[in-house]
Amino acid sequence: MKNAMKLTVAVLALVAALALVACGSSDSGTTSGTATETSGAESGKPAGKGADVPTIEVRNGEPVGGVQTLEFSAGEEVRFRVSSDEAEEIHVHGYDIAKDVPAGGTIEFDFPAELEGIYEAELEGQGVQIAELRINP
Amino acid sequence: MKFLPLAHALASRQDLPVPAWLFAWGASIVLVVSFFALAAGWRSPRFERLHERPLGAVVSRVLLGLPAQVLCGAIGVFLLGLAVYAGLEGTEAPDRNFALTFLFVTCWLGFPFFSAIFGDLFRPFNPWRAIGRVAGTGFRAIAGQRAAHAPYPERLGRWPAAIGLLAVVWLEVVYGKGGVGFDPHTVAVATLLYSTYTLAMMAVFGTEEWCERGEVFSVYFGMFGRLGIFGTRDGRLERRRPFSAATTWATIPGSAAVVIASISSTSFDGGQEGAFKDGIENLTDWIEGLGFSLTTSLRLSGTVFMLLVFAGVGLIYLLGVRGMRTVPGAPSFAKLRVGFAHTLIPIALAYLVAHYFSFFVFQEQAQFTFLLSDPLGTGTTDLFGTAASGVDYTVLTANTIWYVQVGALLAGHVIGLMLAHDRALVYWPDYRNATASQYWMLAVMVAFTCFGLYLLSVANG
Repeated sequence: MKNAMKLTVAVLALVAALALVACGSSDSGTTSGTATETSGAESGKPAGKGADVPTIEVRNGEPVGGVQTLEFSAGEEVRFRVSSDEAEEIHVHGYDIAKDVPAGGTIEFDFPAELEGIYEAELEGQGVQIAELRINP
Repeated sequence: MKFLPLAHALASRQDLPVPAWLFAWGASIVLVVSFFALAAGWRSPRFERLHERPLGAVVSRVLLGLPAQVLCGAIGVFLLGLAVYAGLEGTEAPDRNFALTFLFVTCWLGFPFFSAIFGDLFRPFNPWRAIGRVAGTGFRAIAGQRAAHAPYPERLGRWPAAIGLLAVVWLEVVYGKGGVGFDPHTVAVATLLYSTYTLAMMAVFGTEEWCERGEVFSVYFGMFGRLGIFGTRDGRLERRRPFSAATTWATIPGSAAVVIASISSTSFDGGQEGAFKDGIENLTDWIEGLGFSLTTSLRLSGTVFMLLVFAGVGLIYLLGVRGMRTVPGAPSFAKLRVGFAHTLIPIALAYLVAHYFSFFVFQEQAQFTFLLSDPLGTGTTDLFGTAASGVDYTVLTANTIWYVQVGALLAGHVIGLMLAHDRALVYWPDYRNATASQYWMLAVMVAFTCFGLYLLSVANG
């Protein structure tokens, strides 16, 4: 009787675990899918060695197409461009790198991905997020 | 749509979600460990007594004597005053102002983390308790008798603290959403309001009585302190078996609500940009469609989700307790509900570590460098010569953070199971019934731990 009960619980728990694992992996699958899609649709392929450099277009103080996720691996170069119709200061948090973009101009960021985690790129003056940098280990 | 929860406002850095493979390993280990625990459980309680060993009389006299009490109380009052002053007079930039990091990172996270190891560290530094005691002493000196206090309504128990805890977290993670942000000035005003309320309640019910039951920070930090290895009794400092003081914590009504509020508010904050993100956004849009402003809609939807998570976490616990009633010889539902509440404290701590450990490590660098040297953030002072220093984000790699997160959840799970097993042995003299009752608590713990892992794996998704 006791063994039967233990067995039942074990089976139930195993099913639950499998369900959770399946659920977890499918979720992360969707996530990265959307991320690639967004950056892909707006700015060509995500940056990689030799790939096109993604460009974030800012119009009226908003990133066109919403906040994009740009993924990089630690150790490689973080490269992306920002074009803006107004003069602004672009600030990458965590790395604490800031560059001025003139009205109607484009600037390029290019720095080594030393810090792992998720960092924001912002229009410093207006406090608006324009991109999310994901630095994977 | 711009979200500005606290972690954003201060750090502008977030943890990467736990990868699927680590999630799978974590969940599997949870199950294996759980069944091992069931099979290998001990037969007489191990944590139900403190196994206390008093420390030397000199150590106790120095650390607990009146000079030390006055000094610690004065430090507490000074730091609270400094935080309020910085909030009112300093910069409005959240990350450059001493107030936010000191109150919501150094104290709000630091006291739980360190109290869980060393015992209740907040009590000696509690600024409101210090003021209340001085006021009580002053009253006695002038009136020649002790202040008369109203009897505290027993049934109210720790409910004021549970509701207060939700209110603090609400201010921290819901109020600041939308355009207004979470600014130092608001926090300073809230701190002053809370201080007024607390001192009034202490005057009515007595300082120690209110600290034990109603004062949010005493109750909340004290709860984690019950896991720690040091405690006091009759003016003596003593060493205790870890976790053992937790077994007597929940006897005051409403204690279960405090620990459930802790687990649920951490879950809500951990999930508001991940697991609950879509739900919150949909609800926000719907409320906005009713004609409310964006800020109001964001706050309302956040409030609704926070309460939903609180209800959900509470329901899981109560279902587990209800399940135990089916085991022959079970005590009443009310007794079980109180009796197993303390087994959730390690889970609450694990959630805190998992969600805020990296934030704490990074932000404390700010606390002890530029925020200490330039508390107002005006750029005009450099008290300790560290005003120009910043946060070094390389001190923790993504892998380190992941392992700490998953490790904390596993450790909390195991400690929770041990405490629950112990309590079952007290309630069910028959070992087989005790074990049978623990299938239910096991289900509760597995649910919380896997939910915790799930939140981490979809964080910021």
